[in-house]
Amino acid sequence: MFDKQLMSIPGVKKLIAKLSCLATIQSLAIILEAYFLSVAVVNTWSLKKITALLLPMLYFFIAFVVRYSITRIESQITDRFATKATGEIKTQLLTKEFELGPRMISQIGSGHLITLALEGTDKIENYFNLIILKTVNMAIIPVILLIAIFLINFISGITLFLVFPIIIIFMIILGLAAQAKSARQYKGFTDMSNNFIDTMRGLKTLKLFGLSDKYADNLYRVSENYRKSTMSVLKVALLSTFALDFFTTISIAIVAVFLGVALIDGKILLLPALTILVLAPDYFLPVRDYGDDYHATLDGKNALTNIFEILKIKSPTSKIKLSDFTGWNNTSELKISDLNFSYDKTSQALQNINFNVKGYKKIGIVGRSGSGKSTFLNMLGGWLEPSNADQLPFDVNGKKVGSLSQIEWQKHISYIPQDPYIFAGTITENIAFYQPNATKQQIKVVAEKAGLMDFVNDLQAGLDTKIGESGRGISGGQAQRIALARTLLDDNREILLLDEPTAHLDIETEYELKQTMLPIFRNHLVIFATHRLHWMQNMDYILVMDEGKLVEQGTPVELVNRNGIYKELIDEIRGADQNA
Amino acid sequence: MHKIFKNDTWIKPYLARYKKLLVLVFFLGVLTFFCAIGLMFVAGYLISRSATHPYNILVVYVPVLLTRAFGIGRPLFKYLERINSHNWVLKVTSLLRKRLYTTLETSAMFLTSKFQTGDLLSILAEDIDHLENLYLRTIFPTVVAYITGIIVILCLGVISWLYAIFMLISFAIILLFIPLASVAMRGAAKEYERSLVHESYSELTDATFGIGDWMISGRKNGFLKRVTKNDSKLDASNFRTRKYEWNRDLLVKVMFAIILIGTLIWSNWFFNSSQALANYAAAFVLGVFPLMDTFIPVSQAMEEWPMYKDSVLRLNKLSNDEIKPNPDQSAANPDTFKEIKMNDVTFNYPGESVSLIKNVSLEVKRGQKLAIIGPSGVGKTTLLQLLLGSLIPTKGSVTIDGINVTRLQNNQAKWFSVLDQHPFLFNTSVLNNVRIGNENSSNEDVKQAIKDVGLEDYIKSLPDGYNTNVHESGVRFSGGQRQRLALARILLQNNPIVLLDEPTVGLDPITENDLIKTLDRVLKGKTVIWVTHHLQGLSNMNQVIFLENGSIKMEGTPSELYKNNPRYRKLYAMDQGIVQD
Repeated sequence: MFDKQLMSIPGVKKLIAKLSCLATIQSLAIILEAYFLSVAVVNTWSLKKITALLLPMLYFFIAFVVRYSITRIESQITDRFATKATGEIKTQLLTKEFELGPRMISQIGSGHLITLALEGTDKIENYFNLIILKTVNMAIIPVILLIAIFLINFISGITLFLVFPIIIIFMIILGLAAQAKSARQYKGFTDMSNNFIDTMRGLKTLKLFGLSDKYADNLYRVSENYRKSTMSVLKVALLSTFALDFFTTISIAIVAVFLGVALIDGKILLLPALTILVLAPDYFLPVRDYGDDYHATLDGKNALTNIFEILKIKSPTSKIKLSDFTGWNNTSELKISDLNFSYDKTSQALQNINFNVKGYKKIGIVGRSGSGKSTFLNMLGGWLEPSNADQLPFDVNGKKVGSLSQIEWQKHISYIPQDPYIFAGTITENIAFYQPNATKQQIKVVAEKAGLMDFVNDLQAGLDTKIGESGRGISGGQAQRIALARTLLDDNREILLLDEPTAHLDIETEYELKQTMLPIFRNHLVIFATHRLHWMQNMDYILVMDEGKLVEQGTPVELVNRNGIYKELIDEIRGADQNA
Repeated sequence: MHKIFKNDTWIKPYLARYKKLLVLVFFLGVLTFFCAIGLMFVAGYLISRSATHPYNILVVYVPVLLTRAFGIGRPLFKYLERINSHNWVLKVTSLLRKRLYTTLETSAMFLTSKFQTGDLLSILAEDIDHLENLYLRTIFPTVVAYITGIIVILCLGVISWLYAIFMLISFAIILLFIPLASVAMRGAAKEYERSLVHESYSELTDATFGIGDWMISGRKNGFLKRVTKNDSKLDASNFRTRKYEWNRDLLVKVMFAIILIGTLIWSNWFFNSSQALANYAAAFVLGVFPLMDTFIPVSQAMEEWPMYKDSVLRLNKLSNDEIKPNPDQSAANPDTFKEIKMNDVTFNYPGESVSLIKNVSLEVKRGQKLAIIGPSGVGKTTLLQLLLGSLIPTKGSVTIDGINVTRLQNNQAKWFSVLDQHPFLFNTSVLNNVRIGNENSSNEDVKQAIKDVGLEDYIKSLPDGYNTNVHESGVRFSGGQRQRLALARILLQNNPIVLLDEPTVGLDPITENDLIKTLDRVLKGKTVIWVTHHLQGLSNMNQVIFLENGSIKMEGTPSELYKNNPRYRKLYAMDQGIVQD
């Protein structure tokens, strides 16, 4: 009855046991409530005085309040469970996110992940809240009520008993029919909403081509077509609710007539007959509740499946640890031999990379878009593991490891992409990211070195200015400087990975930034992927990549003189525009 | 709530649309509940009457018939009500979509960057969905419950005014007092919860894009703490809200217990005179139960209002943001275009003191090519929008052949072609996407344009060729190819003035060079104004201006500037990577 995933959540069995007890007590309260209400009515019917009603009314009231107080208690304990379980799932998901790193996340889709972690978990919580309670109620309450009705009047019991499976069968049949239709409809909906968003996003384009008026009618037409197809699905989909309602009310009507006939024949008294009539709607209530919320729970179920799938992905972690590695220095050595990597089975993203580096060097990586530069940097950052990790392609200071996915290595690197991570907080907090306990003085010193002070001095709150979301917006150049300051603050980060950090800056801003960066590069191992040629002269060594292969390597001078692929690439980048 | 509805133009007017259908929906809704009440009422009477052992079954013939009728009527009317209410809402939604489109079309908003990334669009598209739910889940059930309540009280008034007053007070508590109290007590909390969710959303988005940094920082707990910092606050607030809701639901149930007891006492007093009357006691008591189904959703529905409030406010705010075109439109012929001029133009957004453009004058003659360079964020794009007439100068004017450009807005699409950073491709075939440039062009013209921009071979290599859908069948056009498709459109459009707004941003330098060469080749003879932030490809321009902080810092031909201007020379050297540090 429950989904397997649901049963695997800790605490769910205990909750079900608790809810089952409560539902049983509740069923008894429902029976008593119906009984005492009927006693009161029958007393009136027998033309008794109001005093004869007082006690039954009191007992009715107590049973009624007990019944709904149990609902209240059930809601609370279910909610406790749902909140706790959802919180744990969310923590697991976020922990996984942390372990997976940037490349794997972009494969899953960052938007998808964020939506899952926030909206998805809400839906899961809702799913937990609804499904467990409603299922337990549906399994217990009708059974107990039915037993009571059987004991009171056999024929009514039979009637109500027979209707139950009919309802279920009809709901399944109609549900399936609607499902098939709504799958097609879902495509219709996506088409419609895509057309809507498409037209809106293209509004500027349409306007520039003088077509925007015409599209308003087109939009309306598409939307109307969607309405028509939706209506045809709804007509079927709502039939399942109709069937549920129909059999419920009809069976109550039938029971009423049976009871009437039995009463006329004197086979039953009014009190039991009335009790059954009051109980009949309550008998169907749990099924109707379940049916009403069934669709609402589907989203939660899907979200749960999605999250469990992500949790199953293996996080990159190296089996062999670089436990002796204490940081990069002038004698450190990294050897990479025959490194391979592929995102999927069909194509190799990196092929047989061989490369050695010793001491503080500045290594430039060049190549066309899609040549594997970023993948290689991700490999060096330990966010990806080689596909041939078992052949131990990395060698750090003589120790062979399968990948660099380990904190022993990662705590010595820093990574500066095109858009460095700036979070909502003060500039100080952003700089102290790797070293949250740094002193104000230390922060000031590195901000100075990173060339941030000119900008900071113009701000009223100085280093305590809030930046990021709902704070001050900062330019791309300043974001880069904050990332640099961050690196400088942590003495242990001797390895700098830069992935086209200046690609979107204008040339003058880039040039100013360069003056700050070059001194910082000294005493670091720098691996720098870029398209901007002027950096090449500042590099000690250059790697040229093409289609996942390392096609050339050497000092800049060597490579220019070789007149090979590097030279070709540079000419192409520079363009034919040599004589302005 | 009242204030919002007073100025509303997105909900109220539509309630009057398709009036007959709407009345039908309410009618069916009310009918459904009267069948539900009727079924229990008649059933109660039926068994009471039967219990008096009438000599013949025919005595209860009418009640028997009625139970069946009500038993069938209730689900049937409910079904019809749901079908028709959805139909009405979807009809209105179609109108709203069109309305949103036309509103945006005339608003200045589509010029903003938020619009281009689509954030705003998805929000607005969702707002329309919210309105759909507002009708279905809040407005309709509430209206039906109120009508039902009023009719019930009127009927009871005929039978016994004392009982009617008792019910009136009870209904008022359930339908009016408790829902309003809910909004008052928890409305603020719901808004607070939403702000927390919003904050978590941006926090997690930031952190997800910075996950590489988090990973190498090794601070797993720091990360978890940061992205879940609002969770405990949110859980606590949610718990308070839900606790309130549970208690409220319990209170509503207790109200029904009181109604039932009131009904018992009243029926004992009112029907005590004869057995014939006493048969109705059960009818009235049972008749109360279906009211629960109608009334309980109202207090829940009302509480959802804060959720919709933002959507309603946002849509209403949109309508106030229209640009009014200059009423005096000129019918000048673009074929006779001679020159476009900017005369001492200054621009700042209304209410902002900083001028984005300061005293800029420039002149471009037919067939000339002007480049506007400068660092990002110095108002280059603003300058283009001023030239287009999409923005109106605070001071000075933009004229084409002496006519103010604001007077050419009706014909803007005949004067200007624009190629910007993110050309938009519609979810249709390559052929149709290019044909947008000129709807009357033949397939041959379109194919020729595609050939001109150098995409012929690639498109032909695709399995569906020119009929390939640009979003589907696994074909993804790269940045450079998208620009080329957009360029083909412009060739078909064949307008005298072409504005290029950094079309090569985000392309790698090799792709960029190829595109620039193509631009040079196909735009020969056109008047071109090209905004860029570096110097690649400037040698073919007639004139270069360097924009900084909104004003012109250098201008001249590229070779003059190279010869006489050290800054330009240095920029050039840096761009070519031949500078020595």
